[in-house]
Amino acid sequence: MATTTATITLSSTDLLSDELALSTTATLTQAGNATGLTGTTGLARKTTGNTTEYTLFAGADYTDDKAHKVYLKNMSTTSAQYFEIQIAGTVVGKLYAGDWALFPWSADTTGTNCDIDITPQAADMTLEYMLFTDE
Amino acid sequence: MATTTAAVTLTSDLMSTNMSVSASTTCMKAGTTADGLDQMEYGYVDIASGTAYDIIGNTPTASKASKLYIKNHSTDETYYVSVVLDAQAIGKLYGGDWMFIPADFHDANADIEITATGGTNKICYALFHEGTTLVAS
Repeated sequence: MATTTATITLSSTDLLSDELALSTTATLTQAGNATGLTGTTGLARKTTGNTTEYTLFAGADYTDDKAHKVYLKNMSTTSAQYFEIQIAGTVVGKLYAGDWALFPWSADTTGTNCDIDITPQAADMTLEYMLFTDE
Repeated sequence: MATTTAAVTLTSDLMSTNMSVSASTTCMKAGTTADGLDQMEYGYVDIASGTAYDIIGNTPTASKASKLYIKNHSTDETYYVSVVLDAQAIGKLYGGDWMFIPADFHDANADIEITATGGTNKICYALFHEGTTLVAS
């Protein structure tokens, strides 16, 4: 069985009066059991040619309501540059330069297809991404 | 200015070559390099099975660079919380899973709602933000 882990560390010495130091690791497993995820797109990068909205992952390509996980990182170093992240047309948030995200994805297709779309704030921005799939 | 760092490491032996991907970012206010997010909300709650709750009670300022962390501390892998944004399903956080996303809160309907399944789920969350609309007493 493959083992995939995701560790997050949130830290700050001056946000609060006390130090913030949070670290936790998740082993990415299939929906409802302890078997590790067995599929991935691998790590990839996409450089956008313009400010058009792109579909990064289409919900119809994956089994819905499982335990897929999505990793995104904005490789830009220009602080004002962001990718707007949408799921099924709903804005999740803006991923600014250097920011990353990791989240579960339903890939639901029962209503509006739960595609993950990205819209770059500027042309020629690069997004690093990876999908771990539960198929 | 507060400096808050969010780092991630992904490791896997899924492929022929072992993979290790790391990233780290300083949580800044929208579009800046000099001003860090300086407000946060942090909580740990038990969510009873079957009912939908807004994980963030107040409304953060819209269209900023807020960051949201949620972890399901349940130890039973069949337990999960469904995460919904503005009535749109995002995904399911199973026992032990966590997520970290930029959160836009683009309008009054853009709440982050979670619904527990399987039993009472123990949820930890942290929101780093640029301000919220507090509820008047």
